Amino acid sequence: MTPGSIEIDHLSAAYGRGARRVTALTDVTLDIGTGEIFGLLGPNGAGKSTLLACVQGLHTPERGSVRVGGLDVQRQPAATKRQLGVQLQKTALLDDLTLAELIEVYAALYEVYLARGQVTALLERYTLGQQRNQLARRLSGGQQQRLALALAVANDPRIVLLDEPTSALDPHARRAVWDSIRALHDEGRTVVLTTHSMEEAEALCGRVAIIDEGRIVAADTPARLIAGLGASPVLKATVELPLERVRDLPGVLAARYAGQHLELETAQPQATLAALHELAARLGRSIGDVLLRQPNLEDVFLKRTGRALSDG
Amino acid sequence: MKRFLIFTKAMLLMHLRTREVLFWNFAFPVFLMLIYGVIMRDYIHWMTPGVIVLNALSFGLVGGSAMLVEMREKGILRRLRATPMPAVHLLGAYLIVNVLMGLAQGGVILIMGAGLYGLEVSAAGLLLGLPMMLAGALTFLAIGQIISGVAAKAGAAAGAGMTIYFGLMFISDLIFPLSMLPAWLQEVVPYLPTYAVAQLVRIPLLEGSLDPNWLRHLGLMALYGVSATLAAGRLFKWDPRA
Repeated sequence: MTPGSIEIDHLSAAYGRGARRVTALTDVTLDIGTGEIFGLLGPNGAGKSTLLACVQGLHTPERGSVRVGGLDVQRQPAATKRQLGVQLQKTALLDDLTLAELIEVYAALYEVYLARGQVTALLERYTLGQQRNQLARRLSGGQQQRLALALAVANDPRIVLLDEPTSALDPHARRAVWDSIRALHDEGRTVVLTTHSMEEAEALCGRVAIIDEGRIVAADTPARLIAGLGASPVLKATVELPLERVRDLPGVLAARYAGQHLELETAQPQATLAALHELAARLGRSIGDVLLRQPNLEDVFLKRTGRALSDG
Repeated sequence: MKRFLIFTKAMLLMHLRTREVLFWNFAFPVFLMLIYGVIMRDYIHWMTPGVIVLNALSFGLVGGSAMLVEMREKGILRRLRATPMPAVHLLGAYLIVNVLMGLAQGGVILIMGAGLYGLEVSAAGLLLGLPMMLAGALTFLAIGQIISGVAAKAGAAAGAGMTIYFGLMFISDLIFPLSMLPAWLQEVVPYLPTYAVAQLVRIPLLEGSLDPNWLRHLGLMALYGVSATLAAGRLFKWDPRA
């Protein structure tokens, strides 16, 4: 038994029966280690939430197994649930209770009984101390997400499962949630989160699995996945220059126009940029916006699935 | 046990903080008793037990069914299912809270009947009538759970519950005597659960003794209660997608 670990073995799952049957997961195998922040990245409907639901024991798979801390989720549901802290995609709260009451109740559901001081400390940790006696339904979206996180850890779990923890949040609130997730990681908890934001996956996750149409298409650290593409940075500039001259600039591997924007794949972004400025000056042209775009997980998704992540 | 008590208390607080629940369960019965007292003063003693049963019916069919559907719709049931709390705790807390609310509601109606209209209820009548009322409330709750198992949305559950409630309200010997109904309906009504509960509650509260046919009524009510509980168990869904 490995506390804090999740082993998913050849898992397949579906919704509905007969003609209305929809396959949600096909032959998913993953090992998530203790203390990792692991991201499940994919478009809407890819199967991320279903995978989490199978780990939580909320959905019965057709085939395969899930083990949480060495325990089989289907055979020992209560024991596995005790190890998990859960935040579902839709913030589902008993919203006619105050925040303090909610923390007390959700901890008690795991037979963890918090003293008043512990409830206060947990609320303050998620900057909800001021709202202690406020009904949950009166909270803003960002506060509700922070409360959902507080509830997810009220039972002091080894593993925290977060289903799109920052969806519909403004950038400021999203950063606050990211800080909270990093803090969970610093405490040694395993965090598994779903997201369709590459930025989020790259910023938070030690490893990610890219899911598309119920299958894992790639799983590794973001850096290794991106390096595996063998792609180069792309320099974008708003300027009109002859392509044959541009292709001779140092470091340039390929050059093309996308509308008014010159796009250069380059192995030496700094040298290419300096030479580009020099060439433009020589030809009496001015350069507008310049943007350097490094390859990212979006490119990994595009390469593995043939579609952009945002198309999902 | 501590977990169960904390969860039950939370469910009770949620009920008491919901304006609709308070209105339909406490303000509305008071309003009914005042109206009935004005327009049917001569029958108000006969009607008071009927109003108690009627409100237990409203709570079971309308409030209770819609509440669980709403919890399912909002994902609260799914969130609760992600915890190790057994389903029986959820069911138990739900029943206890609803029974407590039903008792409080019955108490309010009886106090109004006694205070405003001079209704006298003996201790023996209360001892006999109270368990019958509780059993009736549980039967109505079970029927309400069939609605919540079938309805996709809380609005649909409340609508279906309301339709059945109003249908039963006028024909079940609750506020209009059976003798006022058409002959063919008089033949059918004694097989309704509401009629059985009305007879089981009314005679004890008014006369301090059991209805001569109490075993028949009790058996019929139990049949409805057990059948509805089994059906509700089969239809119960944690998740709207289930």
